[in-house]
Amino acid sequence: MSTESASTAITRNQVDLLDFIDWSGVECLNQNTSHSVVNALKQGYREDEGLKLESDADEQLLICIPFTQVIKLHSMLIIGPEEDGPRTVKLFANKEHMGFSNVSDYPPSDTVVFTPEHLKGKPVALKYVKFQSVRSLTIFIEENQEGADITQVQKIVLYGSTVETTDMKGLKKIEDH
Amino acid sequence: MVLEATMICIDNSEWTRNGDYSPTRFQAQADAVNLICGAKTQSNPENTVGILTMAGKGVRVLVTPTSDLGKILACMHGLEVGGEMNLAAGIQVAQLALKHRQNKKQQQRIIVFAGSPVKYDKKVLETIGKKLKKNSVALDIVDFGEEGDEKPEKLEALLASVNNSDSSHIVHVPAGPNALSDVLISTPIFTGDGEGGGSGFAAAAAAASGGGGYDFGVDPNLDPELALALRVSMEEERARQEAAAKKTADEAAKQGGESSNSQDATMTENVAADDVKGNDQMDEETALLQQALSMSMGDPSSSHSGKSTGDVDMMDASTDDQELAMALQMSVEESAKDTEMNKVLGDQSFMSSILASLPGVDPNDPSVKDLLASLQGQGEPQKKDEDQSKEEEKK
Repeated sequence: MSTESASTAITRNQVDLLDFIDWSGVECLNQNTSHSVVNALKQGYREDEGLKLESDADEQLLICIPFTQVIKLHSMLIIGPEEDGPRTVKLFANKEHMGFSNVSDYPPSDTVVFTPEHLKGKPVALKYVKFQSVRSLTIFIEENQEGADITQVQKIVLYGSTVETTDMKGLKKIEDH
Repeated sequence: MVLEATMICIDNSEWTRNGDYSPTRFQAQADAVNLICGAKTQSNPENTVGILTMAGKGVRVLVTPTSDLGKILACMHGLEVGGEMNLAAGIQVAQLALKHRQNKKQQQRIIVFAGSPVKYDKKVLETIGKKLKKNSVALDIVDFGEEGDEKPEKLEALLASVNNSDSSHIVHVPAGPNALSDVLISTPIFTGDGEGGGSGFAAAAAAASGGGGYDFGVDPNLDPELALALRVSMEEERARQEAAAKKTADEAAKQGGESSNSQDATMTENVAADDVKGNDQMDEETALLQQALSMSMGDPSSSHSGKSTGDVDMMDASTDDQELAMALQMSVEESAKDTEMNKVLGDQSFMSSILASLPGVDPNDPSVKDLLASLQGQGEPQKKDEDQSKEEEKK
């Protein structure tokens, strides 16, 4: 019952952060180029169940998502297949230039273990206090449910709210008359 | 037009002092690097290129990825050659340099020049390769210079572990008269992944290099249609030759098969028919072959007579038939020494064509015809010489 109330709380006050993602800076390491991160993140693509993000050389994935303004991250949702969906996911706030070689250099802001139930569409609440001023989020998918070589992700949704700041990128230069 | 950040790993070890690539391996490599930098920065204005050296005191990054071509070219001057190449360290440093690129949209690519032996195990290289693949870095390898110690195999293994949807390439460049950069210009390292823009890329690079080894000696930039026509005709000719070679091979195989089949009683009739047919074909072929052989044998003699006519031409206007006869006689004597030449002389049409080419000799003249007939009959040089001189005198 408590989880039920948590999930309703998520949807009540928080918004989908899709509109605040800085697409030019989104990067995914170890993605299969024909099944790229866009399939899991972008509106339209992520709703299509046939389009998936897949890992390439091994099961790990490293997704870096910068935002156009400072946000507060409340919870996240990952949908994926029961067998190949992500299991252990580490989240890092404001750590740019991360690679697989230095994922263990910093303590993650939060570590989430996804269950098959979560992968069917149940959002996971994060340590809200750790994500109060987020400019970029790095999602490190460490392993998948059954230890397969390829991890598949169908949809990633981030829920949160914006901090009241000016979107500097939205400003336009005013021409002199 | 791929948006790329490239790190080029230069081999400046002692091995690159070798002069088997002109002028030296190192200089040839430097030229190729200049060319690649030009091509990369031209293909997309936002492309960046960086350079590091793998030998010397250690791996040294000369320029971090930049789009400033002047900066890149300037760092290539005054490089010292020395030490041993450290391939693994070089690639890893290059990867690190690429990781911190400014523009995350750029694809990452490392180009490695390996002119000295590779001391690392295949396993080590494969681990590095997998790491590159995981970090979505493409790798191009230019294998030149030293070949021993399973170097090509090791590099191939490295490439295989990196290669992701054919974005990485390896080029083996053996030592030879061609400049390293000229060889590279037609490879996927320059032309990209076979995209539409690829040829333009190469052409731009060629223009940047200031010309050089064009196919057929035609600059494709100046006359693209002519270049295309030449290329197409060359390809057609190649296809034709291949088809002909295949046909002869097939025929040979067929005949081999028939001879083995001929033991089969039920097949005997067909086979016999086929054999006859095959023999006919063979006869025809051998005849053609002999004709070709005699033609090629005839070449020296025809050039011989050509020379004699030239001699005659060069003589005074007062040249008389006596001298002509002498010259002809000499040439005939010389050619007659060779037994093979007798056959040629026996060939009436050939002889008459030669005679026709001689000034003042009418091949339709009955005496000449007599002479030719006698040539065919005996092929005795002495006799025919007498005949010939007689005939000339008659004139």
